[in-house]
Amino acid sequence: MNRFWCLFFVASAVLAVVFFYIGPACGWWFPGVAASPLGQQIDDLFYLILAITGVTFIGVHAVLGYILWKFSGKEGKRSDFQHGSHTLEVVWSIVPAGVLLFIALYQMDVWAAFRMKSRFDQEALANPIAEVTARQFEWRIRYPAPGKVLQDTPQPDDLYTVNDLHAPAGKPVVIKLRSEDVLHSFFLPHLRVKQDAVPGLVIPVWFEANEPKAYDLVCAELCGWGHYKMRGQLTAQPQADFDAYMKKLKETQFDDGFKEAADE
Amino acid sequence: MRFSSLSIICLGGMSLALAGCGQPPEPVFAPSAKATVLVPAAQRLVSESLVENFGTPNKLVAWQQFPINYGAAEPTASDAGRHDEGWRLREGRKLYMVHCLHCHGVAGDGAGPTSRFLNPRPRDYRQGVFKFKSTAGGMKPSTADLHRTLVEGIPGTYMPSFVLLGQEQIGLLADYVKWLSIRGEFEEKLAGGMGKAGATSEELRKSYKDKRESDKSISYEAVENEILDDIRKELPETLTERAQDLTDDWLAGENPENATFPTAKRVRPDAASIARGRELFLSKDVKCSDCHGPAGRGDGPMTEQFIKITDSDRSYDTPGFRDFWGQPIVPRNLTRGVYRFGRRPIDLYRKVKNGIHGTPMPAISNRVTEEQIWDVVNFVMSLPFGGKESASPGEADGEGGEAKVAEAAGS
Repeated sequence: MNRFWCLFFVASAVLAVVFFYIGPACGWWFPGVAASPLGQQIDDLFYLILAITGVTFIGVHAVLGYILWKFSGKEGKRSDFQHGSHTLEVVWSIVPAGVLLFIALYQMDVWAAFRMKSRFDQEALANPIAEVTARQFEWRIRYPAPGKVLQDTPQPDDLYTVNDLHAPAGKPVVIKLRSEDVLHSFFLPHLRVKQDAVPGLVIPVWFEANEPKAYDLVCAELCGWGHYKMRGQLTAQPQADFDAYMKKLKETQFDDGFKEAADE
Repeated sequence: MRFSSLSIICLGGMSLALAGCGQPPEPVFAPSAKATVLVPAAQRLVSESLVENFGTPNKLVAWQQFPINYGAAEPTASDAGRHDEGWRLREGRKLYMVHCLHCHGVAGDGAGPTSRFLNPRPRDYRQGVFKFKSTAGGMKPSTADLHRTLVEGIPGTYMPSFVLLGQEQIGLLADYVKWLSIRGEFEEKLAGGMGKAGATSEELRKSYKDKRESDKSISYEAVENEILDDIRKELPETLTERAQDLTDDWLAGENPENATFPTAKRVRPDAASIARGRELFLSKDVKCSDCHGPAGRGDGPMTEQFIKITDSDRSYDTPGFRDFWGQPIVPRNLTRGVYRFGRRPIDLYRKVKNGIHGTPMPAISNRVTEEQIWDVVNFVMSLPFGGKESASPGEADGEGGEAKVAEAAGS
């Protein structure tokens, strides 16, 4: 039992090294490649913090193992009492504080790019593609008519869909996020975008999908019994396809059923 | 000592964990209220006919009589689930159990575990009454109608959109719901018929009392057997008839000729059309405002009336409309722009023209012309915008497009 804890801590350091080495290759726990430029920056922050905490974890365990090995109790020797070391305490307070301060300052740019309206793409902010209203348990989407600007209140020519958000790929777009009932959270995991929808607030959210394809849209805030089924989809497509989609949506929504009768 | 107390705790924890892992109870199709009032022997007849022709949730029977695509066997399909006859019904049930059951219930009775938290209540399909459909009056919906409800969801209710399941799975679900509705209506009609023939406990006691007056020696069992014998004798014929009726009904709903389409194009939703629509809305002939209120807020004078209970001479204790299922229902507030059956002009046209089955909303008078119906629709579609402008694609009209943007941006 004498050396057990010593080996335990050394083993965790060794295991950590092994997992850090083989983990990314096996795709364990890591979020994969982000599908947006901002997502890549967020991932870079994630990996930076992972590196800092990883090095600290391994170092602490190695030192713990070493100390337990060197100073473990010996037959007949009594331990002696020490009040502590002022210098040591100052060092282990200042160093982590310095690291935290560094992270806090270093991430500010990414945070500002994601959250500060002044840093948004101004053209996208002036022309939000849609208003997304979260409700138990679906995403109701309102687009402005093609060529028009989205208004705060519904307009006679607005277009509506549910759970199926379309957006042009390869450029920043803005949606306005609202909630009809309780707190929800608009989460595009592949794009690393997550924003709470708060009743009473209209929150602009921007994202940019690198590739034209379908991405998951999920609710990331436990909003009630049907939270798990509050799934949507973001379809990023080339601008031309997006325009065609909007045109078709308009035709469908203002269908008066008359032509079909003439066909028969 | 320490070891033994530890092992006791471990054993206790394990047995608790194992107890939680037992098989869930076998799902059953709960009997309809019309069946539970029957005498036990008649109840058995109903449940036996149902099990024979429709099976149980875990062992469905595909009655070929009905116009449902049960899924022909595909022995070469890569998915083993398709190898046997009736795979579509089984797959539909699987999906239903995951997505629908918790509100709509195993038997489609709208009494799933989450249903009691909801307002409006989830639909009970067992009477075969559907509100959101393209067909007129009491006709059944087409499969496309059920499909559409699943794709769009029903705004303003808890029915969500299942659009992301994809066409195929939605098709499976629509067919399973159709099958559940047929099964439920079959049960209701069968049990209802037996009830009318006097097989309810209440009726039986009454007829026993009547018979006792003329013949003191008659026993309760003899009266019961007499009624049941009659029912048993006619049962095979009754079953065939009921099934045939249901087949005809659903085939009629499926017939494209029965879907309602306008015979005139939508009237251009200009101020004149909206004004004409408003006049009709308020008029004595069309009477929309009696229920929907003069401003379309769903607060017309009729909402203050006491409504008579169906098949009874009593009225409900509280004023206000009730729907077919006996639930309180209010005329839609048309100023909110939430349209349960969809916001396309054709959807509103159908609601105005056909009314809404299962609710007090009647079909519009047939003295009203197609153009007038469109005027009413245009007026209704202008209510969310203060009656000034009706929902329309806008620019197609070729005028005022630019001006409208400027005006809207300024507001």
